[in-house]
Amino acid sequence: MDKQTDLRMTVRADARLLGCVRRLVRGYLESFETAPDRIDEVVLAVDEACANSIRHAYGGQSEECLSLEFRSHERGLEIELKDAGKTAPLERTGATLAARDAAGELRPGGLGIPLIRQVFDEVEFLAEVPHGNRVIMRLDRGKP
Amino acid sequence: MEIVLSCAWTAGNREGLEIFMALQLSQTEQDGLVVIQPDGEVDLYSSPGLRKAILAAVQAAELGVRLDLSQVAYMDSSGVATLVEGLQGCGKIQKTLSLFRPSPAVMKVLQLARLDSVFEIWEE
Repeated sequence: MDKQTDLRMTVRADARLLGCVRRLVRGYLESFETAPDRIDEVVLAVDEACANSIRHAYGGQSEECLSLEFRSHERGLEIELKDAGKTAPLERTGATLAARDAAGELRPGGLGIPLIRQVFDEVEFLAEVPHGNRVIMRLDRGKP
Repeated sequence: MEIVLSCAWTAGNREGLEIFMALQLSQTEQDGLVVIQPDGEVDLYSSPGLRKAILAAVQAAELGVRLDLSQVAYMDSSGVATLVEGLQGCGKIQKTLSLFRPSPAVMKVLQLARLDSVFEIWEE
C-alpha cells in the first residue's frame, strides 16, 4: 500500500494557534471529499491531539514546535503528530471512552485521548527517545 | 443588564494576521438564573475564560446557571470539561446548570463523549 505525503506543517506549541491548525485540517479533509460529519470529528480529534501535546508534553506553552504530517493512500488517510516534549505515560495514552464509562464516574478531565480513539479507526501512541511523542491516527475512507 | 467580556485575543499580534480567534461572553440575569452566552470557539486557549465566568456565575446565581450555547462554533474536550465542572459546582450547592440551544458543534462533541444525557438541555 503506497502512501504519499500530502502536507507537512510545523506549528509553535501555543494554544492560540489551535484555531489555525483546525482550519488547515478542515481544508485538507475537504480536498478528499470527506463527509462533513467525519470532517468535524477528525478536526476535533486532531485538535485534541495537538492540545494534549501543548498541555501535557510541553506543560502549557513552549517555544518548541509540533509537527503534523498528512499522508494518503488508496484506502484512507494517516495523520501523524510529533512533539519533543515530555513522554506521555502509557496509562494515559490507553484511555478509552468504554473504560471511562465503566468507571461510572463523571469527571471533568481526561476526555481528549478517548475522543481521539473514538474518532479514528486506528491510533498509535509512540514514545520517542530520549523524549517526545508520536501519535499516528489512521482513518479508513471506506467506513461511514 | 448585559455584561460583555472578551476572554481571548480578538486578533493576532503579528502584523496582517488575524489567526487567534476570540470568544466573547455575554452575561444577563433572568428569573434567578445567570445566563451566559459564549460566542465563538471554545478550545484549550479560550476555555479558561469560560470556566472562570461559569464558576463565578454558579456562586452569584440565585437559582442556577443557563448556558446559551447557540453561538458556539466549536467546542473541544476542555470546553466539555468546563461544562461538567460547572454542573458539578451547581450540584454541590443545590443550584441548576442547563444548556440552552446548544449548537451542532456542541452537540457533536457531547454526543461523541457520551455526555449529552448528563445535561439538562433546552431547545426553546
